[in-house]
Amino acid sequence: MKKFLAVVAAALLACVPVMAFSSNSGVDTAAAAMPAWLCIPFAGLLLCIAVFPLVKPVWWEEHRSWAVLLWSLLFLLPFAALNGAGAAIETALDCIANDYLSFIVLLFGLFCVAGNITLEGDLAGSPRVNVALLLFGTLLSSWVGTTGASMLMVRPLLKMNAWRKRRRHIMVFFIFLISNIGGCLTPIGDPPLLMGFARGVPFFWSLRLLPVMLLNTAVLLAVFYRVDMRNYRRDIAEGRKPDIRRPGTEIKITGLHNLLFLAMIVAAVILSGVLPTLPAFQNDRGEALGIPLFGEVELPVPVLIEAAIILLAAWLSFRTTGAEVRRANHFTWGAIKEVAVLFIGIFITMQPALMLLRDNGARLGLSQPFQMFWATGALSSFLDNTPTYLVFLTTACALGFREGIATTLGTVPPQMLMAISCGAVFMGACTYIGNAPNFMVKSISDENGIRMPSFFGYLLWSAGFLGPVFLLDALIFFR
Amino acid sequence: MRHNQELRRELAARIYDLDAEVYRVLGSGLGRVFSGKREDRIDEMARQMCSRTENHILRSELALISNMARTVPDRAERSRLMREYNEILKQIETLPTTFGTIDILDEDLAKLNGARLSGRFQGGKHLIICIGRTYGCAGTDIGFALADKLKINYYDTEIFMEVLERLEAEQDSVQDRASFAHHQDLNKSLGNIKGRTLRDRMREFNRYHGLPTEDAVFFNQSDLLCDMAQREDFIVMGRCSDVILANNHIPHVSIFINAPFELRARRVMETDELDYKAACRLLKRLDRQHRHYYEFYTGRRWGDSVNYDLCINSASYGIEGSVELIERVINQHTRNK
Repeated sequence: MKKFLAVVAAALLACVPVMAFSSNSGVDTAAAAMPAWLCIPFAGLLLCIAVFPLVKPVWWEEHRSWAVLLWSLLFLLPFAALNGAGAAIETALDCIANDYLSFIVLLFGLFCVAGNITLEGDLAGSPRVNVALLLFGTLLSSWVGTTGASMLMVRPLLKMNAWRKRRRHIMVFFIFLISNIGGCLTPIGDPPLLMGFARGVPFFWSLRLLPVMLLNTAVLLAVFYRVDMRNYRRDIAEGRKPDIRRPGTEIKITGLHNLLFLAMIVAAVILSGVLPTLPAFQNDRGEALGIPLFGEVELPVPVLIEAAIILLAAWLSFRTTGAEVRRANHFTWGAIKEVAVLFIGIFITMQPALMLLRDNGARLGLSQPFQMFWATGALSSFLDNTPTYLVFLTTACALGFREGIATTLGTVPPQMLMAISCGAVFMGACTYIGNAPNFMVKSISDENGIRMPSFFGYLLWSAGFLGPVFLLDALIFFR
Repeated sequence: MRHNQELRRELAARIYDLDAEVYRVLGSGLGRVFSGKREDRIDEMARQMCSRTENHILRSELALISNMARTVPDRAERSRLMREYNEILKQIETLPTTFGTIDILDEDLAKLNGARLSGRFQGGKHLIICIGRTYGCAGTDIGFALADKLKINYYDTEIFMEVLERLEAEQDSVQDRASFAHHQDLNKSLGNIKGRTLRDRMREFNRYHGLPTEDAVFFNQSDLLCDMAQREDFIVMGRCSDVILANNHIPHVSIFINAPFELRARRVMETDELDYKAACRLLKRLDRQHRHYYEFYTGRRWGDSVNYDLCINSASYGIEGSVELIERVINQHTRNK
């Protein structure tokens, strides 16, 4: 029955992107150039990610790279037939060079550096300790990025709660808060905001999102405390207890020097946003300098510099930290491998959906902040939130406002920009694929004895807990 | 049925040992699938194997062990662990009453063995009597007199004091929430504890491993009770001891003593020199606190007769009568084995 429900829900999910765009496809020529049915491979891949770990977990683990290849080809081959092989190669290369490369290198760097910092000690995971850690991580996210904060905090939280049986809710709220909502205050926090910064939104403008973040964090932490307390009591009632026979808590953090490498990575991320705006890194047309790859596709130099710094930081981190730290952290390549494989497929197959969005974004008739909030958010849950943010920012700038934040794309009223930013950053928490660290946290938890919710199970969690909070946001801030 | 039960326990033990071995080989400090005591986890798994509603949980947990095993860097070790995993999977498939075909969770309980008092202390197990009681029902006097009669130790606040020693904590900084022994504590509000400075709080945070003080005391009391149960016969008053011992599979007799509210109030008026109104207020507050304490740590209802071997209305028998009644029950069912 559970499997049947999963399949039905997956079928509905598969229809979402297709329906979203097919409703507009009849009225414009752009959609004719990019038929909506080309979104089917994306939906198919999502379907596989959602269903196979439930029904054939072992098979999926061994064959997922083939599934990714199959769905990617199912998009690229028809696309090549429609637009020519060159266009297909360009599309694939463009998304790999401009989006996937910086995405995976950043994730890889943070994964390596955070994996070399270990917290040893006998601090016991309890509701108040967990709330404190989640709050700390949420506040940290804006300053080291949601991925950095997630990678840094996930292992200590796992370790402290190792004595408990019921732990999945902790990781789910971890994804909500640290991996997503916490990243809204600065352009370092989440890539969409970095794109906004690169297009003229002032660096500290995002601090205006503080009231929204505080409300969401306060509500979610209050709910988390109740949920965690209930599970904590159930664990105690079953006779589970942490080992606290020795008086006093000893906490030892090994590999602290890796924070330096973490700072290096954060600097690289900021550079990637700043460099394209400098004349030295621009060509005659004012675009970022790039190394030609194929056709019109170029590998941007700022991306290359960012990747080089991040890889150097990761290498230095490995060279300067003992293997015993990674052993204590149960550091394996499994989680990053899984994310790397799945996301290359996601990045390639979601291209038609993004192209349709780019072509039709302005025609969607969105003119109110709450509309922008829900539209950006809903699409950011399944698509990459960076291009989604850009599409809606461009749409908002094209609405002809004369007062507001001046960007290179045009002027956008503050409330509208807030709605787009919050939608893109917050609603990445709605699915495992909504934001890069979500899947990483899931994979690391899976590898360390926590039975995480399935793809659809997680959707239920987010609908149940995040849905009401976002509704509150819409009513209070984006009316 | 017995054969199946043994098979399931054997299989559960293999699963537990595989999890422990995977964790050992990985050298990870981040937690494993089956944490906690071996016996408890094995019981839990054996129960899950024959439960239609829970067997999917065990399947998922098995998959988690394989997830961890696949990350073992050494190829030979990985293949050894995966071989064991596959063998366990195969054996599960051959179980006669395999995953999800019946609904009886505890076959012993189904045969009413688990609920029987006689035979509980076979094999030289120590006699442990856990007495829960309401304030003013003379439960403390009954427990003390019973210990005297049975010539066994009586513990109430001693456990708390020992825990304070373990935690290196000062008595003034922690309330013994499980006790009625110190009359001065009963009217003490939490006000002076709430007025702690940030430095005090930090010191407490460090001393109690980040746990709330009450929880740290409870966990230490649990450890202490289990240690004591290996060494001697005793009577222990309150402290959720019945549930702690049950969770740790330590045989014991659980008793709850109560009396009508009016009679308890009258007794409190005499012993605590209070007027009727104050006595009623005190009783209601203490009942509420103890109910909350018991339910918080056990998930059970305080005073619910199904949770105890014997429930006594002390007003019906008096202190002497209650002691005799309990002694008779114990002698008849546990000592004459």
